[in-house]
Amino acid sequence: MFKNISWRHFDFWLLGAVVLAIAFGVAMIDSAVAGNAELSDYPQRQAIFAALGLVVIFLIASIDYNYWLALYRPIYLVMVVLLIFLFMSARAVFGAARWFRLGAIFIQPTELAKLVVILILARYFGQTENDPRDIRWIIGSLLWTMGLTIWILLQPNLSNVIVIIVIWGVMIWMNGLRLKHLLGFAAGGIGLVIVGFPFLQEYQQQRVLTFLFPDPNATYGETYNIEQAKIAIGSGELLGKGYGQGTQVQLRFLKVRHTDFIFSGISEEFGFIGALIVIATLAFILWRCIRAAQLSQDAAGSSIAFGVAALIFFQGAVNIAVNLNIIPVSGLPLPFISYGGSGLVSLMLGIGLVESVVMRHKTMEF
Amino acid sequence: MRKAFAWRSFSLASIFAMIGIVIVVQMARIQLSTEAAEFREEADRYKGWVENIYPARGEIYDRNGNLLAGNHSVYEVGVTLDNIENTQSVASILSSVLDLDYVDTLNAINNVDDEQIYLSLMDYASAEEVAELQRIQGDIEDDSASDEAYDSLAGVNFREHLARSYPENTIASNVIGFVNRSGRGYFGVEEKYNDLLAGVPVQVWIPADPNRVEEIPQVPDGTTLILTLDRELQARTEEILDQSLYNYGAKAGTIAIMDPRNGEILAMASTPRLDLSNYSAYDQIFDNVSEYNRAINMPYEPGSVMKILTMAAALDSGVVTPQTSYTDTGAYSVSGATIRNWDRKSWGNQDMTGCLQHSLNICLAWIAVEMGPDSFYDYMSEFGLGHPTGVDLSGEAGGRLKVPGDGDWYPIDLATNSFGQGVTATPIQMMMAASAIANDGEMVTPHILYGMLRDGQQYDFPPQTAGTPISKETANTLNEMLANSIVGEDDGATISGYRLAGKTGTAQIPTEFGWYSSDETNASFIGWGPVDDPQFMIYVWLERPTTSIWASQTAAPVFAEIAEETVRILDIPPDIIRMQYAVEQ
Repeated sequence: MFKNISWRHFDFWLLGAVVLAIAFGVAMIDSAVAGNAELSDYPQRQAIFAALGLVVIFLIASIDYNYWLALYRPIYLVMVVLLIFLFMSARAVFGAARWFRLGAIFIQPTELAKLVVILILARYFGQTENDPRDIRWIIGSLLWTMGLTIWILLQPNLSNVIVIIVIWGVMIWMNGLRLKHLLGFAAGGIGLVIVGFPFLQEYQQQRVLTFLFPDPNATYGETYNIEQAKIAIGSGELLGKGYGQGTQVQLRFLKVRHTDFIFSGISEEFGFIGALIVIATLAFILWRCIRAAQLSQDAAGSSIAFGVAALIFFQGAVNIAVNLNIIPVSGLPLPFISYGGSGLVSLMLGIGLVESVVMRHKTMEF
Repeated sequence: MRKAFAWRSFSLASIFAMIGIVIVVQMARIQLSTEAAEFREEADRYKGWVENIYPARGEIYDRNGNLLAGNHSVYEVGVTLDNIENTQSVASILSSVLDLDYVDTLNAINNVDDEQIYLSLMDYASAEEVAELQRIQGDIEDDSASDEAYDSLAGVNFREHLARSYPENTIASNVIGFVNRSGRGYFGVEEKYNDLLAGVPVQVWIPADPNRVEEIPQVPDGTTLILTLDRELQARTEEILDQSLYNYGAKAGTIAIMDPRNGEILAMASTPRLDLSNYSAYDQIFDNVSEYNRAINMPYEPGSVMKILTMAAALDSGVVTPQTSYTDTGAYSVSGATIRNWDRKSWGNQDMTGCLQHSLNICLAWIAVEMGPDSFYDYMSEFGLGHPTGVDLSGEAGGRLKVPGDGDWYPIDLATNSFGQGVTATPIQMMMAASAIANDGEMVTPHILYGMLRDGQQYDFPPQTAGTPISKETANTLNEMLANSIVGEDDGATISGYRLAGKTGTAQIPTEFGWYSSDETNASFIGWGPVDDPQFMIYVWLERPTTSIWASQTAAPVFAEIAEETVRILDIPPDIIRMQYAVEQ
């Protein structure tokens, strides 16, 4: 399994960009939680998770991704059991619990589930590379996806369900989804949104409505986060107020400033230029993932890389768009930068898979 | 990747890029537009806030440094609604310790707006009550190790602030006045010197950043006041007043003691009195603001005590001398009205001392007529009748002195005014006027403020004169006459060891219909001593005494009792000892 590993094709640029983004994230979390005794160990924890993630990247990269694809059945089964167990225990507590507690560490299986979806779909598309692109093929991929996603939907965690649907969409598109099917899905999707809206949780409906029709008499809480984020970003102007100087960040007007609204904090303290550098770094990571997909010689390998790219892009775009008040509030973190161990390690696992793909893009080496 | 799918790659990349562009454009729109400056301003506003810091209210002491009104810590008890774990136990424990109604408390907590985060349940809780609550809170926390713990005071907060405390309880409450919950003084010293006591609130900018907290500046306390009151004398005066009301069946009363040399008010008692720490009972105790402190708030027809002013004016103007003789025939006609004596008898030949001693209305009316209205009213005005004295207590009323030219003045008023009817004055006005007689002709303005402490310095209040209505000789002559008259008249206004001067006053009370009630009187006494060197002046007014309508049988003995206490408490040696001491000098 570890024989004949060649690190010649390991993408150090990708790793470098990821490390840069994480380092910036840790620094920003440090600024965001300054003075808060309860959260004071968050930067350190994030750094430890990053170190763990680095080990994961090298470990996963050194293993041929085809091993994981071959083990798809046990992986899938374990993931489904984990999600069912989470769903059951969540019901037992109150409302929604999205993590398991393991000592002082909270593990969010949902983050891992997104990677498992990528692996399962990559295997499926590799397996069916030469099958006709008919409805059966599409339904097959959907069934694999839904087997996991249904439990996330039931948590309920709509944001991550949408993430998975987008990953599935990107992967199936890159594997030859026909245009007429795509249009059909688009129409069906819009119809589903219209029909499904009444079934959303009340807080989710509220978020959408607040976004679409900002009520001038809206109560404090409904528009508070968005307003504060806007003030934070706006007051950053071109060059920002300087590290540790953002009043919105330091004075806690910005809620969840170390997770969902970290981009606002970055914009306040580092300004337009700083935020642009963060976006550029993420874009660079994306480019390296897409490059890996294009270099891959088999459908499964390129699917993995596209899937990871879709995951990073979508979460990043949604998070930043929420911060910028382009779309309604949803709790997706900014990849590599927001605080959160499970998310970070899962993403780095994804980077490890991409590295594994790019390292083996030439099947024969002499 | 296979070439066939290159366009798929391209389309996907295009979507990624387009979304990226939208994001960057929105960033630029927010961060680089003119709007950005507004956002920056808005963010700057969050950096801190301005807060008013109110100084501790100045304390009030008596002349010997005894605290009359101070400050103590009280607590506002409230709940942070989100932190409440068990509403029932919060309501039941608070209601039992703080004496609140359980159902009301429970409803108050349950019926708050969604947005409300804090609810104040009670203010002015005492330190003991709060200590009790904190003890219970601690007990519950200790118990919570066991799972059975169901009670919880979680969410209950205490906010400490200062409130007035009165170590002497109701003593001098009619002089001090009270302070309401927003820190404003009402009545007495608290209202008169509210600005000094309250001090100057300081506006402080409080930075919100915990790393940038600057030291909150020390706000100087409000000015501390030292009153001319003597706590012990005040307490005894109030006791004697209360006892006198009971003894003589009087409806209300007031007793004031002033130093006639400088106008310092040594004691000022009035009924009824308010418990200042429970000032909300004001409405149940008083019908009218003038009842708060009768000595300064309530003008009345003082009756015969006014005769000393008439006599002073007559002596000073030379219309009479002490030896002038007047034959009292029992009736005296002025402008078609007949003046009679209090006992409706004729007293025959009397000198001026006899006129005062027997309080002969006819004699005094004759004197006033002899003086003529111009001279008489000039003197009365000089004595300060008709306008407030300017005593530094809030809400002083000035009595009414009708003078010729006023629409409601009639010639008969000259005669009746001479013995204190048809003219009104407050006790403090009468005392200021009489101070001229006791103080060698010089009248002093009564005052309650001895001095004040501010920024570590004591500033004393200088005595102020209010004019010299009569000469020193007139004053001394009348002083002697009044001393002789109370000795001659057996009405119990004398005390052993000290020569005192004084005059009774029994005044009929005008009814609302304009005539005088025959069985209701105001019994008054004004007196001072020791005659050779007056150091205290006492005014007694008992309203509607029922055991006797005569001041000589009610107000006079009260005066004597107060005088005894005054010389004891002020440590004034008996006349003989003072004389010897003066000779040895």
